[in-house]
Amino acid sequence: MSEEVVDVLIIGAGASGAAFAWSLAETRMNILCLEQGDWMDPAKYPGMQRDWEVHQFGDFGLSPNTRGRREDYPVNDAGSPIAVSMFSAVGGSTILYAAHFPRFHPSDFRVKTLDGIADDWPLDYQRLAPYYDINARMMGVSGLGGDPAYPPKEVPLPPVALGKLGETLARGFNRLGWHWWPSDSAITTAEYEGRAPCINAGTCLTGCAQGAKASTDITYWPPALRQGVRLRTRCRVREITVGDDGMADGVIYYDANGAECRQRAHVVVLACNGIGTPRLLLNSRSKHFPDGLANRSGLVGKNLMFHPYAMVTGIFDEPLEGYKGPTGCCIMSQEFYETDPARGFARGYSFEILRGFGPVSTALWGMSTGRLPSGTDHHRAYRELFDRTAGMVVICEDLPESSNRVTLDPDLVDADGIPAPKVTYRLSDNSQKMLAHSVARAKEVLEASGAHDTVADAPLPFAGWHLMGTARMGTDPETSVVNEWGRCHDVRNLFIIDGSVFVTAAAVNPTNTIQALALHSADTVKKNLANLFD
Amino acid sequence: MSDETTLLTWSDEQHRALARVIDEIIPPSDDGRLPGAGAVGVTQYIEQVLRPTPELSAMVVEGLTALEELATQRHAQAFGALSRAQQSELLQAVSMSAQAFPPVLMIHTFAGYYQSDRILHALGLEPRPPHPKGYTMGPNDLTLLDPVRQRPARYRAC
Repeated sequence: MSEEVVDVLIIGAGASGAAFAWSLAETRMNILCLEQGDWMDPAKYPGMQRDWEVHQFGDFGLSPNTRGRREDYPVNDAGSPIAVSMFSAVGGSTILYAAHFPRFHPSDFRVKTLDGIADDWPLDYQRLAPYYDINARMMGVSGLGGDPAYPPKEVPLPPVALGKLGETLARGFNRLGWHWWPSDSAITTAEYEGRAPCINAGTCLTGCAQGAKASTDITYWPPALRQGVRLRTRCRVREITVGDDGMADGVIYYDANGAECRQRAHVVVLACNGIGTPRLLLNSRSKHFPDGLANRSGLVGKNLMFHPYAMVTGIFDEPLEGYKGPTGCCIMSQEFYETDPARGFARGYSFEILRGFGPVSTALWGMSTGRLPSGTDHHRAYRELFDRTAGMVVICEDLPESSNRVTLDPDLVDADGIPAPKVTYRLSDNSQKMLAHSVARAKEVLEASGAHDTVADAPLPFAGWHLMGTARMGTDPETSVVNEWGRCHDVRNLFIIDGSVFVTAAAVNPTNTIQALALHSADTVKKNLANLFD
Repeated sequence: MSDETTLLTWSDEQHRALARVIDEIIPPSDDGRLPGAGAVGVTQYIEQVLRPTPELSAMVVEGLTALEELATQRHAQAFGALSRAQQSELLQAVSMSAQAFPPVLMIHTFAGYYQSDRILHALGLEPRPPHPKGYTMGPNDLTLLDPVRQRPARYRAC
C-alpha cells in the first residue's frame, strides 16, 4: 500500500491522458498516470507478419469483447445497434485508430444558437484553435491548407498519398461539383521529430509498425516521461475515493497481479473515454455521492453519442491499387456538413474515402455480402472484386439524448471483478433520415467516379469508435457535469478530459478535439494553480 | 489431454480428404492457372487456426469421418479412391447431415487460400508482410483541387 500522495493522478494513458500529462509536465509537479493496459511493441504488430489481415478479426479486432486480452474490459453493448470499439494500452485507442484527424468547425460549438437543437458548448472554436495547432505539431498532422470547409489552420506536413483510388474518387466529386479535400491525418508524410514517414503499408487499423501513425505512446508520452511524469501500466482503477470534505483523495486499483492497491492524490484526472469514465464515476459511490461521483446532476453516463456510420463500397472495372495507402485517410468531403432544412434533418455529415481491401479482406467481404460464392464461379467473382473496390464511410452527427446512456451492468465484470459498463442506445429519427440521405449521396458520387455497383451497410454495426457526451461540460451544475476546462462542478479537484465532456458530437472523428480540449484543460490548470479549487 | 491431442493433430489421410473438401469451396480455375484450395497448403493452415478451438476442430474431423463411412457404405471404397463426381455427391450428403462441416471452414479456406504464396503471385502481389517495405505510391495530382478552390468558403462563421 502506497502512502505517497501525488500532486496529479491521471487515469488512462490514451489520447487525452497523454496530451494532458505532457502539457502539465513543465510544472514539475509530481504527476503519475495509471494505465490498465501495457506498452505495445510495434515490432509485433500484425503488419510485420504474413497473416496480418486475419488479426483484424481476432486479437487486433475492434471489440474488447472478442479480442481476449486481459487488459481490456468487457462492454455489454447488446442494447445498442452499434458495438463499442476501444483498446486498452499506453496510447489507448490511438493504437488502432485510423488517425483521421479533422477539427471541429466553428458551427459545431454553436448548435443551439444556429440550429435550435441540443446545446451550445461553453467555449468556442477560437478558444480551442491554439490547442489544435499545438496538437497538430505534437501528433505530426499531414494535410493541406486552404480547405474552404474550415477557417485557416496549421498543417505541418504535406497530405498522405491519394493514389489512383483517391484521385478516381476526387474526379467523381468534381463531376458533381461537390466539395472534397485531402484529409487531415495524424500520419507523418516526411521525417518528423524522429518519426519515419508513412510507407503506405495499409495496416493502420492493426497498429503502425513504421511509427508514422501518431499513437500517443510514440508522440506525447516520450517527452512527458523525459520531463518526469511517471506512468504505471497494468493498473486498473476500481474507484475514486472521497475524503470527509467531499473532495477526491485518491483511487483504489488492481495491479498486474490482481492485488488491491491504493494511490492517494491531490488532484485526480479522468481520461478513460466516454464509456470508461462514466463507468468509473458510477462505480465510485460514497455517502457524499450515493449515485456516483460528481453525479449530483444525474447526467453521468447520459447523452452517450457515437457517430452513426454508413459504409458504402463501390465496385469498379479497373484496378485501383486500393490495398496501398493509409487505411482510413485519403480524401474527405463536407458537401453536406452544415444544416440545410430542405434535407429533412438537422445538422449533417462527412464523407471519408477509405482504401480498398487486401486479398483476404476482399474474400471475406465478398463472402459476407453474397458476392463471392464458393465453387466453380469463385475465381471469376474474385477477379471482379480484388483491387476493384473503393470504400467510403459517412460520419453522421449524433445528437445528445438522455436515454442513450452508460450504466453499470448488474452481472458482467472484468478480469478484476469490477462491474462492466452497459450501453443502451437507439438511433434517433434524425440519424436515420441522415443515414438514408448520406447513403444515397455516397452511391451517387461512387457512380460518378465510375463504380458499376455499390454495396451499403448502414448503420455500420461495428463502428462504435467515437465515445462522447457522458459527462458533458457546461456552466450550469444542474445541466452539466464539468465546466469548460473539465473540472467537475461537484468535486473541484476532479477533472474529466476525455470525450465524455463533449456537448455535441459534430460529424468528424473526435480525437483531435479530445486532445485539444485536454491541452486546453491542462493549460487552464497551469494558469490557475494558485486557486485551482476555488 | 490425450483426447484433445488426438483431435488437434490430423492424419495425412485426413489432410488429403479435407483437401478434397476445400477443393469444392475453391476449385482449380477452369483455365488451370489457379490451383484449388486443396493444393496450396490450406489444410495445414486450417488445422493450425482451429487448434485453439478444439470443438471446431472436432467438427471437421467428424465430417471427414462421416465422409469415409458414407464412402464405405455406398461404394465400398475409401473416399479418396472415388471419382470426383462420387466425392461431390458424398460431400453434399454430409453437408446436409448432423456431421456437416462447421461454417467457419469456408472462412478459413478463403483466408488461407488468399495468403498462400502461389495465389498472391497470381494476383500480382509479393508474398510478404506489408512492413517494413511498404508500398510505393506516386505523387498527388493536386490540380484536381482547382474547381474546389474556386468555390467560396463553406463553413459558417460564428
